[in-house]
Amino acid sequence: MLQVEQLTFRYGKHTPPVLRGVDLTLHDGEIGILLGRNGSGKTTLFKNILGIAAPDGGRMLFDGEDLTKMPRRRRARCIAYVPQHIHFGALSVFDSVLMGRVAYFGLRAGQEDYAVVERILDEMGLTTFAHRSAEDLSGGEKQKIAIARAMAQEPKMLVFDEPTGNLDIANEHLIIAEAKKLARQQHIGILSSLHDLNQAMAFGDKFFFMRDGVIRHAGGREVFTPDIIYDTFGIRVRMAEVDGQKVILGGTPYEN
Amino acid sequence: MSSSLYRRKMRRKNALIILAALVLVAAAGFVCLLVGSSHMGWRQGLAALLGHGSDAEIRILRAIRVPRVLAALIAGAGLSVSGLIMQTTLNNAMAAPSTLGVSNAAVFGANLSIIAFSGGFLSTGHNLANFAFGANPYATGLMAFLFSALSVLIILALLSVRAFSPGVVVLSGIAMGSVWTAATTVLQFYATDVGLSAAVIWSFGDLGRATYRTDAIMLFVVAAGLVFFLLMAWRYNALLSGEATARSMGIRVDALRFASLLLSSMITAVCVSFLGIIGFVGIICPHVTKKLLGQDHRLSIPVSALCGSFLLLLADTLSRTLGGGAALPVGAITSLLGAPFFVAIILTKKEHS
Repeated sequence: MLQVEQLTFRYGKHTPPVLRGVDLTLHDGEIGILLGRNGSGKTTLFKNILGIAAPDGGRMLFDGEDLTKMPRRRRARCIAYVPQHIHFGALSVFDSVLMGRVAYFGLRAGQEDYAVVERILDEMGLTTFAHRSAEDLSGGEKQKIAIARAMAQEPKMLVFDEPTGNLDIANEHLIIAEAKKLARQQHIGILSSLHDLNQAMAFGDKFFFMRDGVIRHAGGREVFTPDIIYDTFGIRVRMAEVDGQKVILGGTPYEN
Repeated sequence: MSSSLYRRKMRRKNALIILAALVLVAAAGFVCLLVGSSHMGWRQGLAALLGHGSDAEIRILRAIRVPRVLAALIAGAGLSVSGLIMQTTLNNAMAAPSTLGVSNAAVFGANLSIIAFSGGFLSTGHNLANFAFGANPYATGLMAFLFSALSVLIILALLSVRAFSPGVVVLSGIAMGSVWTAATTVLQFYATDVGLSAAVIWSFGDLGRATYRTDAIMLFVVAAGLVFFLLMAWRYNALLSGEATARSMGIRVDALRFASLLLSSMITAVCVSFLGIIGFVGIICPHVTKKLLGQDHRLSIPVSALCGSFLLLLADTLSRTLGGGAALPVGAITSLLGAPFFVAIILTKKEHS
């Protein structure tokens, strides 16, 4: 579905590149998790994939089509974004989700747009919230509405930037479960960054370890080894197995 | 409540709010029409409006008061909506025609025209008549417009060289504004006393300068802007969720921002060049509207426009009744009237972040 090849990007002409040749492949309905330290280029990679920033080199293909040449609105119908910091500008929940339809209706929402919003609110159990102001809701609820808004774009793929960054543990689980449900039931691909390694292992199918603007390791759960984690984060961790599931135990920092 | 019921209810509520604002504006318009220095009663005024009554009364209404009220309606709406759109597209609550340097540039253009070309050091005439009638009556307005347009284009050009960052737009607007103000001061320093007073009087906003023709020109620009802004209402709403998110939804943020700033600046430039400086409408009215009704642009665009018309009508009525025959500068009244109300709203109303 998504194929990124040797992607490079820098913010200014005289600043060092943030992406130095990223390779990443994600298939239909797969959940890919991007792991790496702050500043390793995760958000920048997302911005390039979403068309918020334009790459300097390399290729991005979506179902074989060049993403950078795709018209903006069609691109928005393929890939939708759930940002880390969520704002709705004091609109009602209904209107906030309807916003995701902008890529379809352009100027004025029509019956079909309303129908899609109603279906999504219903599926996600948000109908009771529909008339409240989205800004007045809790962090977890806002996150859910941001997912609903992205789903209103009827995309084939969702990009999450730190979806659990500001949530408590209960909401964290709720959001991850919600996202996983979308991927499994509606066959929507997901690319997400996450900080918690254990959560990442539980959530994802495929993992990308990023450092200094390149993806240095990629693969399934088997790539979670102490060495790769050390290489990516610079900390030593221990691994254990609980009920047949791999668990990563907190590490100690080492001098690089 | 089913969502179609909810939508109908919301639509009805929005329509009611707009209707109420329209009624208020219409009432203010009538009051403004019927109040003035000629001591015409409201019955006589109404009769004269319909073409009954003495020639003098009919003339006062049709030639003086109607164009003035129209100017208040049009310019008030235009200035207010310009402020709203600048605030949204630049994501800055302080963005407004006056803070982006558009008004300052207009003042400089007008000063240049009045002091340098219409009298003062470049001409021999030293009586006030020269300043009023010595040149084409549109010359001052045209110069004011040219300079404010120039100012806007310089800012937009600067920003297309580097990536559009809203914060940078506001800062360069402020810098640009102070350059024009400084240039105006230099110009005024060399002006004759008559030239100086003519220039200063120009910069007091005055709706009395409006004629049917200037009203028509303003109407054309303001109406074009309003139609464009209303069509873009959902895109502005999307901008409220952040620039990156708006882009990911397929909105061409840079193009939208460029077109919106250009149009709103042009509206300001046209209004200011015909009427002089009418400050603060572009800040007060959008903020009051947003505080009271929230930020949905489908509602805040028309209501801000009506709020601007209302404030300007009210200010003009007051300026003509308080001054006792001479109309006080309406620009001063809008601020005197609006600022306390504005502060009260900010302090009392819950934050609609």
